[in-house]
Amino acid sequence: MSSESDSALMQLVQAGDTAQLAVLFERHHVGLFRYLLALGRDRALAEDLVQEVFFRVIKYARTYDPKLAFSVWLYGMARNVYFDSHRKRRSERFSGNAGEIESSELMPEETIRQKQDVAFLREALAKLPGDKREVLVLSRYHDMRYEDIARVMRCEVGAVKVRVYRALKELREHFCELRGEKLYDV
Amino acid sequence: MTFEECRLLIPAYLSGQLPAAEKAAFEVQLETNAELRIELEELRAVWDGLKLLPEEEPSAELRARFYQRLSEVNRERRQSFRGEFAWWKPGLSGLIRQAAIAIILFGLGIYAGRMNRDSHTQAQDIAEMRTQVQSLRSIVALSLLDRQSATSRLEGVAWSSRVERPDSQLLAALLRALNHDANVNVRLSSLDALEKFSGDPEVRKSLVESIPIQESPLVQIALIDALVHARDSAAVMELKKLTGDQDLNIAVRQRARWGVERLSAN
Repeated sequence: MSSESDSALMQLVQAGDTAQLAVLFERHHVGLFRYLLALGRDRALAEDLVQEVFFRVIKYARTYDPKLAFSVWLYGMARNVYFDSHRKRRSERFSGNAGEIESSELMPEETIRQKQDVAFLREALAKLPGDKREVLVLSRYHDMRYEDIARVMRCEVGAVKVRVYRALKELREHFCELRGEKLYDV
Repeated sequence: MTFEECRLLIPAYLSGQLPAAEKAAFEVQLETNAELRIELEELRAVWDGLKLLPEEEPSAELRARFYQRLSEVNRERRQSFRGEFAWWKPGLSGLIRQAAIAIILFGLGIYAGRMNRDSHTQAQDIAEMRTQVQSLRSIVALSLLDRQSATSRLEGVAWSSRVERPDSQLLAALLRALNHDANVNVRLSSLDALEKFSGDPEVRKSLVESIPIQESPLVQIALIDALVHARDSAAVMELKKLTGDQDLNIAVRQRARWGVERLSAN
């Protein structure tokens, strides 16, 4: 049972065998959590959204096309769930506090004052704008090919190529800045 | 390929995504262009560094909440399925006495029938839920036993012990873990889980067959104890072989001797 492909399991879920969702959850929930954490930088929110994504899988099971990799469909859905929740939270903040400029969403996490490069890199990653962090996370941690990232982010492959390059470049700039190094652009 | 075009290919080159022809063209540029080489090395340092960042893990609560909600969803789906087939709705017009009496009598008859049906449905619900929970536990156990991390596999064994009557697939997965898992703790935990089902002759037979496969003295001793506890006299032959094997750990040989004595005395 556990050796079934994602696509085969998803077809069983489509046929009403929702128990198979448990296997898909076990295979994908950690990666999905990390992706949603990279988008929102909020652990509790990422965990809530992981749940939401898996129950949308049941709700929208009929829309799954077995020709598409399950992970691409899943991450595309996760992205929608995140942006729906982001819009909802933003409108709640605006209605509760009119005129306040939202600025915390894509800003770096709590500054880590350690001198190790790993800590600097982590901070530099947090400094990246959400869309750049997202392409880097999908490319580096999820080993997604550009074609699949383009499907998840609904853009052209060429745009992904440029975004990954710019994200990496900006990451390096933040990293060097944090280390107090001067940058010589090539 | 221009310098600008080459720069954009750096991440794809680092992640090994470049098609062969593009990779070859990129490498030609690398040989001739010092600026490109410098930029590649600078970005490589950051790219490689990303893999060193500690990866975040979700809390255990996430899994618990997911399974609770999945169980609720399954229950709701079952109930809505039944709802589609509900044919009886109570109602009383009461226009004339005779009709009212007839309806009341009819209603009483339906009520009696429904009471009987409800208790039957409740029992059926409980049985279905129990089966479903068992099936979910089994799925989770199998999935976790298949994972690369030893911690996950230990969790898988723990989930398997919550299954009241494991099917052949789950028993096979536990036996595979007992005989072949790289981690000794997983092997020991699998044995603990299997010991619960040592009433099954097939399980006992598999435990006996496991003796010559095991190399860890800890697992060997635990296996001897499990077979003695199960009073499986079929294990005597295998245990005797252990007592005579001079390459074995002395503690294992002593335990095997003790096992032979205990089983022979039964």
